[in-house]
Amino acid sequence: MGPKAASGKEKLMEEDEVLQAVILADSFDKRFRPLTTRTPRCLLPICNATLLDWTFESLALAGVQEIFVICRSHAEQVKNAINPSGLVPGSGIKIVPIMTAKETFSAGDAMRDVYTRGLVTSDFVLVMGDLVSNIRIDEVVRVHKERRKTNKDAIMTMVVKESGASHRTRPQGDSAVFVLDSETSECLHYEPVSAYPPTTMTRIPRELLEAHPEIEIRNDLIDCSIDVCSVEVPSLFQDNFDYEDIRRDFLHGVLTSDLLMKNIHCYVAKDGYAARVKDTKSYESISKDILSRWTFPLVPDDNHPSGHVYQHTRGNRYIATDNSVSLARTCKIGNNTLIGAGTKILENAQIIGSVIGQNCVIGAGSIIEGSYIFDGTVIGAQCVVKRSIIGAGVTIKEKTRVEKGCLVGDGVVVGPLAVLDPFERLSKRRDKTVVVEEEEDNDEDSDIEEIEANQDGASSILGKDSNAVVWPQGPSEDDDEDGIAVYKNQRIRRLGDDGSDLELSDGGSESSDEEGSESSGYDSSSDFEIPTTPSSATFLPSGAMGESEFQREVAQSLERAFAEGHSVDNAAVELKTLRMASNVSLSRVREAVVSAIVEHIQIVDGALPQRKEISRVIARWGALINQIGGIDAEETVSALQMHCASSERFPLFGQILAELYQADIVEEDDIRAWYASTAAKGTGLKAGPTAENVKRCWAVGARMIQQFDEQESESESE
Amino acid sequence: MSSELLDDPTQRVVENLAWKLRRRQIVGSRATALETLRVLHQVISDSPFSNMEQLVTIVRGVGRRLVEAQPKEHSVGNTVRKVLHHIREEYNTATRGSGSTTTSYSGFSISKFVQLGQPRKHTVLPKAESRGSLKENDSDDPDSFARSLRPVLKEAIQDVLDELETVYDNVSKNAPNHIHSDEIILTLGMSKTVEAFLISAAHNRNYTVMVLETAPSYGGRDMAKTLSTAGISTFLVPDSSLYGLMSRVNKVILGAHAILANGGMFAITGSLLAATAAHAHSTPVVVCAGQFKLTPLWNLYHEYGALDFGDPNQVLGFEEGSLVDKVDVVNPFYDYVQPDLIDAFITNDGDHPPSSIYRLIKETYDDEDNEL
Repeated sequence: MGPKAASGKEKLMEEDEVLQAVILADSFDKRFRPLTTRTPRCLLPICNATLLDWTFESLALAGVQEIFVICRSHAEQVKNAINPSGLVPGSGIKIVPIMTAKETFSAGDAMRDVYTRGLVTSDFVLVMGDLVSNIRIDEVVRVHKERRKTNKDAIMTMVVKESGASHRTRPQGDSAVFVLDSETSECLHYEPVSAYPPTTMTRIPRELLEAHPEIEIRNDLIDCSIDVCSVEVPSLFQDNFDYEDIRRDFLHGVLTSDLLMKNIHCYVAKDGYAARVKDTKSYESISKDILSRWTFPLVPDDNHPSGHVYQHTRGNRYIATDNSVSLARTCKIGNNTLIGAGTKILENAQIIGSVIGQNCVIGAGSIIEGSYIFDGTVIGAQCVVKRSIIGAGVTIKEKTRVEKGCLVGDGVVVGPLAVLDPFERLSKRRDKTVVVEEEEDNDEDSDIEEIEANQDGASSILGKDSNAVVWPQGPSEDDDEDGIAVYKNQRIRRLGDDGSDLELSDGGSESSDEEGSESSGYDSSSDFEIPTTPSSATFLPSGAMGESEFQREVAQSLERAFAEGHSVDNAAVELKTLRMASNVSLSRVREAVVSAIVEHIQIVDGALPQRKEISRVIARWGALINQIGGIDAEETVSALQMHCASSERFPLFGQILAELYQADIVEEDDIRAWYASTAAKGTGLKAGPTAENVKRCWAVGARMIQQFDEQESESESE
Repeated sequence: MSSELLDDPTQRVVENLAWKLRRRQIVGSRATALETLRVLHQVISDSPFSNMEQLVTIVRGVGRRLVEAQPKEHSVGNTVRKVLHHIREEYNTATRGSGSTTTSYSGFSISKFVQLGQPRKHTVLPKAESRGSLKENDSDDPDSFARSLRPVLKEAIQDVLDELETVYDNVSKNAPNHIHSDEIILTLGMSKTVEAFLISAAHNRNYTVMVLETAPSYGGRDMAKTLSTAGISTFLVPDSSLYGLMSRVNKVILGAHAILANGGMFAITGSLLAATAAHAHSTPVVVCAGQFKLTPLWNLYHEYGALDFGDPNQVLGFEEGSLVDKVDVVNPFYDYVQPDLIDAFITNDGDHPPSSIYRLIKETYDDEDNEL
């Protein structure tokens, strides 16, 4: 490329805004412990390159020019892992590590940090530090910017990837139902699906069906956690200090808010691959995906992020090319295997579907199946390791069995003749001297101390030379009451755990479940069910006000509005805020507003003055009924009926209804619809004065309908 | 990794291309060859060198870096080799004058072939009058060598560039000699060279082309579209009907990704099948390719990995979740087609049988560059 081309490129960069990316290099959870007690998750190797390198490379493929890495836990390590030149090799991408405070406990906190530091200047790409992707993110950014030109409220585009109903890369415990507008691919509703207890229902707010003629309800999407965000997103996090998770809090908050009026869109990626290493199960499946080349051109023999060179041979076997690997003549290397440089495989060893790091030794006659072994680990003779992750520098002595799902932390020594049960987690017992030096992660340290204190007789299973401590299985005691459910949900996400002992539907029936849930979604929206917020346990709104409290608040706020003569708009905004704060459905608000307005009507003697009074109030405040968000005149009428039936203003019902009709707040059709509905006839109500009144109201309605009919026939006869 | 002698901006250009190759942001033999030439042009015009060895080391260093970055794009290495060849030629001309190059033509025989090495085919332009003064390692003015040689080197690169740019025209120059009226031609995949060749033949001949769809890339569909737009009677046929149709086909015309020294080639997946079917029917198989695809490699076909495997997405959709876990999908980009299945190569510099490709390679590159 000549100098001319280079200068041309620079000019282009000046014209275009620099595409920035923010990597949250902290997982904010502990699913990989004990592997992550000393290393942050983003520095765990997958296929012999750290996750962070895979993320950088994914972004480099996408044409990002500047990357901010937000590090929290083990921030120094992350910083050191970043190329000292601060550049991704060969791409001129600038990497800036940002050390964030220890108090950053969630993605939301990190985003607030991004805001306060003023890092981003234009639309940016937000990813996690454990992303493996070959999706053309620049294409997503282009679509996003295009959309922003016409719609300033489109603040975020999420990248999702189509997968089947059951897919190894689609985390079972962490999927979600997306409701999308088919035409604009706007995300209308989001609801997480938990594996335990299995989510079988999803509720879709009725308003969505009214506003969007065509929607897609999808439960087959992998959420890649690649978000193209506009600059407003960090500031929204700043404004809403309780947002923690980007999906559960932020996305849900934006979608359900009537005030923000912001849109979030989805980009359903047809081509390309993207997935996050969220848990040990996805670690396994992403490793498999890389080895079977779904991530092409990001594959070990082509563009390995750590710059290793592997030779690709039949059956997706990758072996380091620098002739440093020594394979015994009698060893067996199975399909989908990667072997790092300097590793020795001794006689009769079998490696099947596994990843072996650099400078490892696999002893004679050992069987390694579906396992991930990090650098410098030595496995003795006659061992069996199945579907486990073995950290770096581990020594497993001869004739040890490691059953599926085990996680063995760095530097552990196990054996000889040890037997690890499935899902056992081991870490190295720390030297007392080291403890003093390690100041960070106090909470984690205390955890570890507790575990170390509880080691009674563990060493007998672990072999006589072991330095390991066994982590307890099951939920820890200090979890809150739904900790068991959470634990069961989490454990499905472990490597090798198919959750068969939990009463779960298997993959096949799960998909039918999903269909069922989709149709029930339709049902709930078409019948009269109150469209509350989703009822799944993970989602209970915190600090929800009681219903009666809400009613009172509304009454007070309207009283104030009546007394101080607010404009209808202002009153409407106030009501919306109230509704947000207490998280109640629209129909409750409507009832409250109708009753408040009715109560506001003074009872005057004489038919004419009374009528004047009614028309004054309706003219002044009637519009409010339709401004609280969503128009449903039929509901208005029945709310009016119910209120009048139990109020001393019962005799006014007919007049108020007539006045509402005059003010065009309710239409003739609405009155007819109300009249026809069963609720209006008072069926199902307990006998008593209220039911009596309800029936009489209905009779009033009947007279009104009669009038309408007469008018119609008159106009016809004319 | 790469040559230490390179200064920063040049280094950056090289690295830039290397990573683009690595990330597959530049693909295709012609595109990579063009980019390589551009980089070499800048390297030669910007790097300091005061003698021939230094220059060769620099260019080789760049070549090695690029080839390591993407060993599967063979034309990168070929371009570097060709440029090196030209550099030496220009150097020889400049130091020895115009008379000396003709000597190698005398006494040419097969038995002496190995010692002879390079029969100089390119006749040297008469521009060597003043070049006798070329001085290497001038301590007073270390740049003088570079200064005096640079213009010719740039010309040499320009020659290679011109050759690349006229490849299609030159390959298709004698297309009418290969395709006769009322013939049925079978081709597959999307190859610009083949496309130009067929369209050029269509000016004089009236013939029919069958294009295989060429799953999984379906390049054949594009090919069929362009051919029929050019007014050639074209059939797009599914890959499965290849064997059944072969008996009616007069000639199979294929494109190539790389031509190997033994006369075999790497070509888009499906080529081997087509060539084998043609072989069974004794239908001639003709390969159209530019000479920049000549690759001085022999043993590649032992190496499974040399075929370059893409992602399984084109074959098995990622959404087939339940299958993804159970099925291993291999999706090779290229087939290795053995020399005995090929009847002729039509290049931009004449037609050659597979058996004489080794000669072409010897003429085009210097032996010492086979390993960069």
